[in-house]
Amino acid sequence: MSLHSTNRARPRKPLQWIDVRNRRTGMWAFALNRVTGLGLVVYLFLHFVMLSQLFVGRAAWDSFVALARSPLVLAFDVVLFAGLIIHGLNGFRVALNGFGLGVRQQKAIFYGLMAVGAVLLAASTVLIFTI
Amino acid sequence: MPKLHVRVQRQRPDTQARYDHFDVEVPDDANVIDVIEACWRQDQNLMYRHACHHASCGTCAVRVDGKEVLPCIVPLAACKPGDMTIEPLRNFPVVGDLVVDVSAFFQRQAAAGMVITRDAEETIDGHPFEPSELLQPDGKLERRHYNRFENCVECGICLSACPTLSATDGFFGPAGLAAVHRAWEKTTDETERAALLDLADREGGVWQCHGAFECSEACPQDFDPAGAIMDLRRALIRRKVGALFGR
Amino acid sequence: MPAPHVVIVGAGSTGSACAHDLALRGLRVTVVERGEFSNATTGRNHCLLHSGGRYAVTDQESAIECIDENLILRKIMPDALELNDGLFVALTEEDLAFKIKFIAGCAACHIPYRELTPAQALAREPLLNPKLLAAVQVPDGVFEPWRFSMAFLASARSNGAVCRSYTEVVELVRHNGSVTGVKVLDRVTGKTETIGCDLVVNAAGPWAGEVAGFGGIEVPVQPTAGIMVTVGRRMNNMVVNRLDKPSDGDIVVPQRTTSIIGTTSWTVTDPDAIDIPPQHIQKMLEKGIELLPEIATVTTRGVGAAARPLIKRARQDERDVSRTFECFDHARDGGVEGFVSISGGKTTTARGMAEKLGDLVTRKLGLSVECRTRNTPLLSYRLFYQ
Repeated sequence: MSLHSTNRARPRKPLQWIDVRNRRTGMWAFALNRVTGLGLVVYLFLHFVMLSQLFVGRAAWDSFVALARSPLVLAFDVVLFAGLIIHGLNGFRVALNGFGLGVRQQKAIFYGLMAVGAVLLAASTVLIFTI
Repeated sequence: MPKLHVRVQRQRPDTQARYDHFDVEVPDDANVIDVIEACWRQDQNLMYRHACHHASCGTCAVRVDGKEVLPCIVPLAACKPGDMTIEPLRNFPVVGDLVVDVSAFFQRQAAAGMVITRDAEETIDGHPFEPSELLQPDGKLERRHYNRFENCVECGICLSACPTLSATDGFFGPAGLAAVHRAWEKTTDETERAALLDLADREGGVWQCHGAFECSEACPQDFDPAGAIMDLRRALIRRKVGALFGR
Repeated sequence: MPAPHVVIVGAGSTGSACAHDLALRGLRVTVVERGEFSNATTGRNHCLLHSGGRYAVTDQESAIECIDENLILRKIMPDALELNDGLFVALTEEDLAFKIKFIAGCAACHIPYRELTPAQALAREPLLNPKLLAAVQVPDGVFEPWRFSMAFLASARSNGAVCRSYTEVVELVRHNGSVTGVKVLDRVTGKTETIGCDLVVNAAGPWAGEVAGFGGIEVPVQPTAGIMVTVGRRMNNMVVNRLDKPSDGDIVVPQRTTSIIGTTSWTVTDPDAIDIPPQHIQKMLEKGIELLPEIATVTTRGVGAAARPLIKRARQDERDVSRTFECFDHARDGGVEGFVSISGGKTTTARGMAEKLGDLVTRKLGLSVECRTRNTPLLSYRLFYQ
């Protein structure tokens, strides 16, 4: 049997999804999308748990609303919003590239969209803490 | 003669990876392949691949300080001085030390069917080409374009750099899809072009790429596999949309 | 009765072509190579598919071998060669004087040629030294050495040959004055094992002397190193040679995206320890610039050196040693049965070398099977991994 024809099993290492060491822009964008995607899924689950408080009764809901107005949770909201913005805008770039559009400009599009995202995030942070 | 402290990943199929340390001295103008060879001179059990030493065979690809490179064309001057870590490519099974099993990769390359030479469409100084009169071994002249080997050297670097491949076995991979793209670009036969698009459209084809663009960044030959994948996607979308409207 | 078993030591172009030849003749074949396939002499050769022009004046025996094999390889290796011809370029009056001998040599060795005016040559090769005086076109070509060997191995494997890399011969097994097998060290498992066989073929190139030495046998191989300097851009479409007898740095072979300048020649004692003299790199670049001045403006991409397995003959300078090959039957030369060596030659002539060796091996084993490699297309190198 030839050494090179053995078709050994290949190691699978999904953690490499978020390993950005020595990598470049495209990989950072890829990793950000995995992290924010996972974060948003977790949030969605928490969101349902919170909404289910409505079934428990008015008192439970009111105590949740009070908690939601605490500065710590508001800060969490900012993080959540950051994830949403990054994932959404970056997803737009991925979709665009997927249609074969802007492929050679993918880095510029990424930085451009992230700049837009930063402005949106700054504005929403102000709104979150002032409303 | 710069002195270098080298950490080399050592492994056999049935053992855990560990790092061995080598202190070597190589000439100022050495490339990283010379560093690996210097380590091998100290321990002939060290397994590594190499052949041409000018980035044409594509056998020697490894990771140097975490980055995929062809060590035969990376000068020491381009690396950080003093020490260096050398590891095998990711996403391949390890045969021994720096040697990875490339059989599954070449099976896919064979399936993709990229011809290994291409017509040179332009001269070496960039002007478009007239076919030239070339001598045949029977002494007759034949008018045709110059040909040359494809840019892709099938080194596997793009597969190692691809984050999608780190989690799935099904993905055809950047080099394979780029090969499909080259074949598709090259042929004018419509049936063949459709068959190649079908190949790219299959599960594990272009749609499994998540657009990290690391393949094109890491490619030592500027082959741009990611661009090729997105090109195929565009062609597929055009075909699918066309089909919706009965074209 | 099962077919005889032959072990081939070394999987460079010679060993690979021998494996294909013998497997096609129906023998059981095992090839052992101590590193990656064709990692040494073949891997780091000049990638030149010789038309024979290079030897048409100084070594006509080699020149004829080259043109014959060039013709055959074009048939059996379709799509795996760059076939853009070669130019021999005269830059000085001495070169111009050599042209007459060169053309006579080409005619004597049935190498097709065509004389070009400087203007015609420059139209084909815009980066050529504009001061050229004349040029002659010959059917040179370019191959890719690793893939060249892998194509032979892929074909051999499809005919049942076992090809093992990272398997190093550490001993020749002898029994009653015959070689009956090899003891090998498998670098993957770290274990040694004995592979028994009816005959051992020593195709270890510059290491042939060392391998034969395991059995106390002598092979007159003279490891002679040569350097290749590759530049960062392709400078020429065709192979560009200096129109003169072979000397240092007189040829620039284009390949893929690069051009390779070669070569020098110096005798080494240990082919495993070739240290490249820095002045050789400088010399290559200087000589390359004479042919293609723009080389001065590009970066050096890679530098490699490997030893050629030239056959030692008395009183010869290494440049004049014939580039032809020789099969050694050690039963005749040293009274040892079951062991033959093949050395010398060029990658271009690997198939022809294998044919001669196959004839010798089958004769020794008492078989009469014709060589069929001349007309059998080789498989793609990729199919080695099938």
